[in-house]
Amino acid sequence: MAAVLEASSAGKAKTGSMRRDRKRALYWSYFFLVLFVIFFLTPPVYMMITSLKSSAEIGAITNPWWVYAPTLENYWALLGSEQYLTFFKNSAIVSVVVVIITMLISIPAAFALARMKFWGSAALGMGVFLTYLIPETLLFIPLFKIFAWVQDTLGIEMMNHYWVLMVIYPTLTVPFCTWIMIGYFASIPKELDEAALIDGAGYLQMLLKIFIPVALPGIIAATIFAFTVSWADFLYPMAFTTSADQLVLPAGIVTILIRGDVYAWGQIMAACLLGALPPLLIYAFLMDYYIAGLTAGATKG
Amino acid sequence: MSSRPFTRRRFIATTAAASAAAVGFPYIRTSHAAGSLSVGFWDHWVPGANDVLTKICQDWAKKEKVDIKIDYITSQGNKIVLTAQAEAQARSGHDFMTFQAWDPLDKQGLLEPMDDIIGTLTKANGALEPAAQYLTKGKDGHFVGVPAVTGTQVKPPCARLDLFKKVGVDILEMYPTLKAPTKAAENWNWDTLLTAAQKLKAEGHPIGLGLGQTTDSVDWVGAMFASFGAEMVNAKGDITIKHSDGVKQGLEYMQKLVKEMPQDVFAWDDASNNKYIISGQGSMIMNPPSAYAVAKRDNPKVAEHLYTFEMPKGPKGRFAPYLPFIWGVWKFSKNRSAAKSLLATIWQKENVEKLVNGSIGYDIPSFAGQRNFKVWEQVGPPQGAVFHYPPKGDQKVWMACAPAPVAIANQMYVQGFMTKLIAQCTQGGMTIAQALDWGAKELEGYQRS
Amino acid sequence: MAAVLPRSQATPAVRGGGLRRVLRRKSTLAFLMALPLIVLIGALVVYPALYSIHLATLNKSMERFVGFGNFEFLFKRDLFWMVVKQSVIFAVSAVVFKALIGFCVAHFVHNVPAKGQRKWRGMLLIPWVIPPAMSTLAWFWLFDPSYSAFNWVFARIGLPTITWLGDPFWARFSVILVNVWYGAPFFLIMYLAALKSVPEQLYEAAAIDGANWWQKIWYVTLPMMRNIISITVLFSLIVTFANFDIVRILTSGGPIDQTHIFATWAFKLGIEGNDIPLGASVSLFMFPILAIAAIFILRDINRRGNEA
Repeated sequence: MAAVLEASSAGKAKTGSMRRDRKRALYWSYFFLVLFVIFFLTPPVYMMITSLKSSAEIGAITNPWWVYAPTLENYWALLGSEQYLTFFKNSAIVSVVVVIITMLISIPAAFALARMKFWGSAALGMGVFLTYLIPETLLFIPLFKIFAWVQDTLGIEMMNHYWVLMVIYPTLTVPFCTWIMIGYFASIPKELDEAALIDGAGYLQMLLKIFIPVALPGIIAATIFAFTVSWADFLYPMAFTTSADQLVLPAGIVTILIRGDVYAWGQIMAACLLGALPPLLIYAFLMDYYIAGLTAGATKG
Repeated sequence: MSSRPFTRRRFIATTAAASAAAVGFPYIRTSHAAGSLSVGFWDHWVPGANDVLTKICQDWAKKEKVDIKIDYITSQGNKIVLTAQAEAQARSGHDFMTFQAWDPLDKQGLLEPMDDIIGTLTKANGALEPAAQYLTKGKDGHFVGVPAVTGTQVKPPCARLDLFKKVGVDILEMYPTLKAPTKAAENWNWDTLLTAAQKLKAEGHPIGLGLGQTTDSVDWVGAMFASFGAEMVNAKGDITIKHSDGVKQGLEYMQKLVKEMPQDVFAWDDASNNKYIISGQGSMIMNPPSAYAVAKRDNPKVAEHLYTFEMPKGPKGRFAPYLPFIWGVWKFSKNRSAAKSLLATIWQKENVEKLVNGSIGYDIPSFAGQRNFKVWEQVGPPQGAVFHYPPKGDQKVWMACAPAPVAIANQMYVQGFMTKLIAQCTQGGMTIAQALDWGAKELEGYQRS
Repeated sequence: MAAVLPRSQATPAVRGGGLRRVLRRKSTLAFLMALPLIVLIGALVVYPALYSIHLATLNKSMERFVGFGNFEFLFKRDLFWMVVKQSVIFAVSAVVFKALIGFCVAHFVHNVPAKGQRKWRGMLLIPWVIPPAMSTLAWFWLFDPSYSAFNWVFARIGLPTITWLGDPFWARFSVILVNVWYGAPFFLIMYLAALKSVPEQLYEAAAIDGANWWQKIWYVTLPMMRNIISITVLFSLIVTFANFDIVRILTSGGPIDQTHIFATWAFKLGIEGNDIPLGASVSLFMFPILAIAAIFILRDINRRGNEA
C-alpha cells in the first residue's frame, strides 16, 4: 500500500512538494518510531543490563545504564538453583498442559458453534464471549473459598498445589481461543463441507481432516495465546499457591526472590529475563501467527 | 518422598557469589521413616541464618526418624501472613507454622495449646517476656503458641556513628562500647532526635524512618506513640483516639519530623530502609541488625560505622518496638506430637545460642535467662555494634497497637493504621483534628466482626 | 459474530426419516462437542461468580447472613469511594493513552516502507509479550527510592528527583504509565491491521479535495476504523479495570491507599485481611461497570454483524 502510494507520488513528481511532503512524513515517522522504541524497550534493556551486574556493582551505585564489570554469575546461580528450576519446570508443565486442555475444549466447541446449529448455540456463543468479561479478579475470592471447602470436606488438597492452576487457567484461555477459532472456522467456505458430506464423511472426520488443517494458522495463534496467558498469569498463583516448590515463575520470582537481601536485584532481573524467555522466543519465531491471532479475534468473526 | 542426601547440596559461600545466597534452598527434605512433618519457618533476613536452623531440624529429624519438609517463607509482600490465612481457611497446610505479632491470638481457635512446652521452657530458662506472654496467651488462659527463636526482634535505631558525630550527637558517649548506657543517655529523646535530623538533612544524609504499611514502619511508630502515652483503642475495645493527648502529641511531633526525612518514606516496605542505609545515603533507620549484616558483606565502608542502640525517650518512657514471631501448631495437623518435640528441641539452650549466633544477634530470645549470650559483645566492627540491641535497662518492650483487643489490633496492624494516620496529617494535608476524625472512622471499620 | 452463524446447506443423500435421524445426531453431536466448554464455564466461572454474590451476603466470620450489610458498610467508608474513583481514573486514563499512542504509532509504522514495517512492529510489540509480572519488576527497580536509574539521570542533569512510588500523584502516574507501556502495543497492532484495510482510493479522493493530513484522519481514517476502535477501547477498559498485577507489584495500593483499585483492595481485604465476604463485595462492584461496557460491545458487534 505504501509502495503504491510512493509510486503514485513519484508519478506526481512534477509537483515536487508532494514528494517533499512524503519525505517529511517519513522522517518524522522514523523520528517518532525511534522515540517510541526507546520508550518500549527501555525496561527490557535495563533488565538485561542489571542482570549482568554483580551485587557489588549494583551496591556501588555506578552508572545504572552501563555495566562496568559484566558477569554471568547471576545466570549461573539461577540455572544452578534447584528452586528456580522448579519454578521453571512448574510453569512449563502447567502451560503445556493448559494449552492441550484448551485446544481439546476450544476446537470442538468452536466447530460446533460455527458449523452446527443446536438448541442454544447462539446463546452459548454470546455466553462464551461474556465470560471473558468476568475477570479473574472477581473470581479468585470465591474460588479460594470453594477450594478450601473442597479440601475440607472432600479431602482433595487443592490449595498450594500447582496442578490446581491447570484446572482454572483454561477459564482464562478457552473463551478467547474459542472465539478465535469460531472466526477461522466460519471463514472456511461451505463448499468444502458439502463436498465432504457428499463423500460420506461424518462431522468428526470433517473436523479432523478439513477444518483443522485449513484453519491451522488460527490454531497456532490460539495455541500461542493460551501458552502466553498461562505462562504469565499472576493473580491465581499468588492466591492459591504458597510453598516454594509449588510456585510458578511469576509468583515465584516476586514472592521468593524478592527477599530482604537487598543486592539480589541483579539476580532478580536475570530471573525475570529468563522467565520471559519462552514467550519471547515463541514470539520471535512465530510473530506472524501471534499477530494474526490477535487481530483475528477482532477483525474476523 | 524422594530422599536427597545432605552432601549433594552445593554450598555457595564466597562473597563473589554472595548474590547466590539470596537464592537459598527454602525447601529441604530428609530421609524418611516414621511420620512426616511439614514446617513453615520465617525466612531470615540475615544471610546464612536459615542454614543453622535447617541443620538443627535435620539433626532432630534423623534422631526421631521423621520425614521433615522445611519451607522458608518470606515476610516480604506479607507472604507469611498470607500463607497463614490460606492455611486457616483451607484447614490444611504446614503442621508447624510461623505467625507474626497478633495473628496467633486472632486464630487461637485453630491452634494447639502449648502450656506444656511453655511450662518446661519457663522452668529451664526463666520467665517468659511479658509482651510475649500477652501475645500467646489465649482467652481461655491457654498458651496457643511459643515465641519463635528466629525472627523475634526489636527495631531500635541503627545509625551512622560518623554522621551523628558530625552533627554533634556523640552516640558512643551515651551508649559506650560494651558498657551500660551512661547518664548522657537520659538526653536521648525525641527532641534531640529532631534536632539531629534537621542538621543531618542539611548535611545531605537525612534519617529514614519508614512510614509505609509493613512491619518495619508500623512497629517503630507503635513504640513512638506509646512513649507519648497514646492510646487509640483501649483494652475494652472503646475507641479513645480522639481523647488521647498522647496521640495528638505524637502527631504533632511527626509533623515536624516528617519534614526532615525523604518524601518516599511513605512508600517504604521492609527492605527499603535496609537499602537506604546500606547505600550510604541514610544516617539512621530503625531496624534489627539485618541491614548491618548485609552491609558488612557488601559495603563494609558503611558497615563499620553502623551502631545499634536504644530508642529515644518519650514523655512516658522508652519503648522498644517489638515484633515477635510465634511458632504454633495447627489443631488440624496430623503429627502434633512430632511438631511439639521439634519445638522443644529448637528451644534447648545450646540450639538457641547457635541460632542467635548465626543471626549475628538479630534474634532476641524471649526467656529471661537467655539474654546473656556472648554474641552481642562479639559482633563487629565497629566493636559492640549490637551490644545495645537486646532490650534492657529502662527500655520497655512494646507491641504496636497494644492494648487494643486482638481482632481490632490485628486489623490496625495489618492495615498500617498508625502510619496512615501520620500520613494523613503530613503528606495528606489534613489537620490533626481532621486526621483524628478520619482515624476514628477507620477504627470503627475495624470493629467489624 | 457468533450470533450470525452460517447454516450448512448440505443435505445428506438419505431423506425422510433418515434425514431427521441425521439432524438429531448432528445436534447431539454438536452439543457433546460443546459440552466441555459448557461445563468449564459453568463450574469455574458462572458458579463462582454466583457464589461470590452469596459470600458477599455473609458476615466476616461467614457464620451469619447479613444481606446487604457488607455493601452498607462499604458505602460508608471513604476508602471505598476513593477506590472507586481511583479505579475509574486508572482505567479511563490508561485506556485513553493506550489508544492514542497505539493510533499514532500505527500511523508511523504504516508510513514506513512495507518491508521495514515488520522489524519495527516486532520491536514495538515486545512489552506486550513479556509477562507483566516480570516487566513490572523491572519498572519497580527503575522506580526504586534509593536506586532509581531515572533519578540517577535526573540528578546528573540537574532535574529534581521524583519519588516515583512514594508520592500519591507520582505513584498514580507510575502505575498508569506502566499499564500504558504494557498495553499500547496491543492497540498498535490492532490499529495497524485496521489501517491497512482502509482503501487507498479514499485517501486519494480526499487529497484531491484538498484535505491535509489532519482532515484525512478525521474524515477518512477514523470513520473507517470506528468499529475496531470501539471494540478495542471497550475491551481494554474491561481488562484494565480488572487489573491486578501492576498495582500489586509496584505499590501494593499505597501510599496511603492512593493507588488501590478494586482488584488489589479486594485482595488486601479478602485474603490479607481475612475478611472474605468483604473482599467478595468489593470485587462484585466491578461487575456493574463491566456489564455496562459489555452491553456496549455487544450492541456494536451486533450492529457490525448485521452490516456485514
